[in-house]
Amino acid sequence: MAQIEARAGTIAGDARFVGAADTAPRQSFVEKNRNLLLGLLSVVLFLAAWEAIFLVVPFNKLFISKPSLIFEGWLDLISTGELFHDLAVSSVPFFYGFVAAIVVGVAIGIIMGWRQRVGYALDPLMTMFYASPLVALAPLVVVFFGVGVSGKAIIIFLLSVFPFIFNAAAGVRAVDRLLINVVRSMGGTEKDLYLKVIVPSVLPYIVAGTRIAIGRALIGVLVAEFFAASEGIGYAIARFGDLFALDKMFACIITIMIIAVVLTEGVRWAERAAFPWRVGQ
Amino acid sequence: MTDTRALPGMVPSTADAPTVVGLWKRSEPMLLGTGTIALVLLLWELVPHLVTLSAGTKLFFATPSQIAVALWKMFYTGSIWHPLGVSAAGFGIGLVLAIVVGLPLGVLLGRSRTMNAMFDPFITAFNATPRLVFLPLLLLWFGLGMWSKVVIVFIGALFPILINTYEGVRNSDKLLINVVRSFGAKEWDIARLVVVPNSMPYIVAGLRLAIGRAVLGVVVAEFFGSEAGLGVIMVRAASSYQVDVVFAGLIIFATLSLAMTGLVKMLENRLGRWRPQLSNEN
Repeated sequence: MAQIEARAGTIAGDARFVGAADTAPRQSFVEKNRNLLLGLLSVVLFLAAWEAIFLVVPFNKLFISKPSLIFEGWLDLISTGELFHDLAVSSVPFFYGFVAAIVVGVAIGIIMGWRQRVGYALDPLMTMFYASPLVALAPLVVVFFGVGVSGKAIIIFLLSVFPFIFNAAAGVRAVDRLLINVVRSMGGTEKDLYLKVIVPSVLPYIVAGTRIAIGRALIGVLVAEFFAASEGIGYAIARFGDLFALDKMFACIITIMIIAVVLTEGVRWAERAAFPWRVGQ
Repeated sequence: MTDTRALPGMVPSTADAPTVVGLWKRSEPMLLGTGTIALVLLLWELVPHLVTLSAGTKLFFATPSQIAVALWKMFYTGSIWHPLGVSAAGFGIGLVLAIVVGLPLGVLLGRSRTMNAMFDPFITAFNATPRLVFLPLLLLWFGLGMWSKVVIVFIGALFPILINTYEGVRNSDKLLINVVRSFGAKEWDIARLVVVPNSMPYIVAGLRLAIGRAVLGVVVAEFFGSEAGLGVIMVRAASSYQVDVVFAGLIIFATLSLAMTGLVKMLENRLGRWRPQLSNEN
C-alpha cells in the first residue's frame, strides 16, 4: 500500500494516473478470481432460484425438496451420526477393493508393458473385460458372496482394476529407452534405473488411472449397496427414496457429489503438484 | 510410441521379407491374443470335468458352451428382440438428447469465458459424481418406465460430449476465427464455418466415450428400475440362478458396445489424422 501511495505521489499531477494506481489492486483481485467468483455466483443463484421457485409453484414434499429443507435434513443426519456411520460402512469395502485393484492392476499392467509377448497375449482379453459392462455381474457377485464387505469389495475391485492395468502398461511402454541406456552407460545400478527412470515415468500414468478408477469404484459402491445392503451410503439413498424422505435423500446425494469432487479434484491437484511436466497431457 | 532417437543397436530386427519368421512376427500379436482367449475359454469349459463342484457352487457356474446355447436359444426363439429393442430405444433417445444438448452447450462454453466460469462448478460436480446416485430420485420422478433410463443415459453421455466439444472449440485456430470475423461473420457463422468443423475430431472422440457410458447407463438403469429390457432379463436370471443367461446378456452388451465404439473409432481415424492426443477417460 505504501508503495502505491509513493507511486501516486510522484505522478500526483495527473489525476488519471492516481485513479489508475488506486483501482489497480482491486481490479486485479476481481480479475484474478473472476472464474471462481462467477462460479460461486452461479451456484448461489441456482440455490436461490431453487428456493424461490416454490413461492410460485406449489411445493410437494413427496416429490421435490428445497435447499433449506435439504440443509436441515443434512444437519439432522450429521447430528444423529447416521451420515458418518453410513459413510464409514461404505468406505471399508471401497478401501479393500481399491487397494486390491491398485496392487493387482499395477502388477499386471507392468508385466504387460514390460514383456511384449505377455502384452500381446493379454491385451485383447483385458480389452474385452474393460469394454463389457462388468456392473452386470453385480447380481451374481452379490448372490454368491453375500451382502457383506467381501461382495462389495469384489464388485469395486472388478470395476476399478482395468484403468490401472491399461495405464500402468502404457506407462511402462512410454519409458524412454534412451534414458535407460544413458543411466546404464553412466554406471547406474538397477536401483538407479528404477528410481530415476522407470518409476518417474510410470507413476504419472498410474495416478491418471487412479482418477478414472475412483469414479468407477464409486459406481461399484452404489451398485453393490442398491442391490443388497442393510447399511451404507448407497443403501441410505435408496431407503430415503423409498420413504419419500427427499430432504435426507438429497442430503446424501449431495454428500456423495462432494466426496466424488474432492477425490477426483484431489487426484488432479496431486497430479499437477507432483508431475508438473505432464500438465496438459 | 515410435522413438526416433533409438540407438542403432536397438532397432528391432523386423524382417520385411515374406519369410516364415516374418509371417510369424507379423501375426504374433493376433495369434497370442486369440490364443489366450481360447485358452481361458477352454479352461473354463474344463473346470467341471476336472474338479468336482459342490452343489452350491454348481448353481453359480455356467460353462462357455452352456452360455453359447443360451445365447443361441435367445436368438432362435426370438425372445431377445423385444427386450433388446426396449434397451436400444432408451440408449438411442438418451444419446441423441445428449448430443443435441451437449454440442451447442459445449460450443457456447468454449466461446464465452463468462458462461464457462458460471457453468464450471456444475459440470465438475456432475461429471465427477457417479450418475447412479440420481437413480432413486429419477425413479420417483419418472417411474419405472423408459424415461428414468433415458435420463440416466443422458446424464452419462452428456459430459464426455460437452467437455470434448469445449476442448475442441478452445483449440480451434484463433487466426481463422479472426479472419472470418473480419469479413463480417456473426457468432453463428463462426461456429458453423470454423469452430465446429475444427472441433469435429474432438467431438467424435467424445462420442466414443459417451457410447461406453451410455451402455453402462442402460445396464444400471434397467437393473434397478425398469420393467423390460436386456438388463431386466439379466437380473431376473441372476435371481433364479440362470447364470448362463446372465453371461449371455453380458456378451450381448459387450459386443454391441465394442461394435459401436469400433465404428466411431473408424470415423475418428478418418476425420482426424492430425488430431492431438486426447485423454481416454472412461
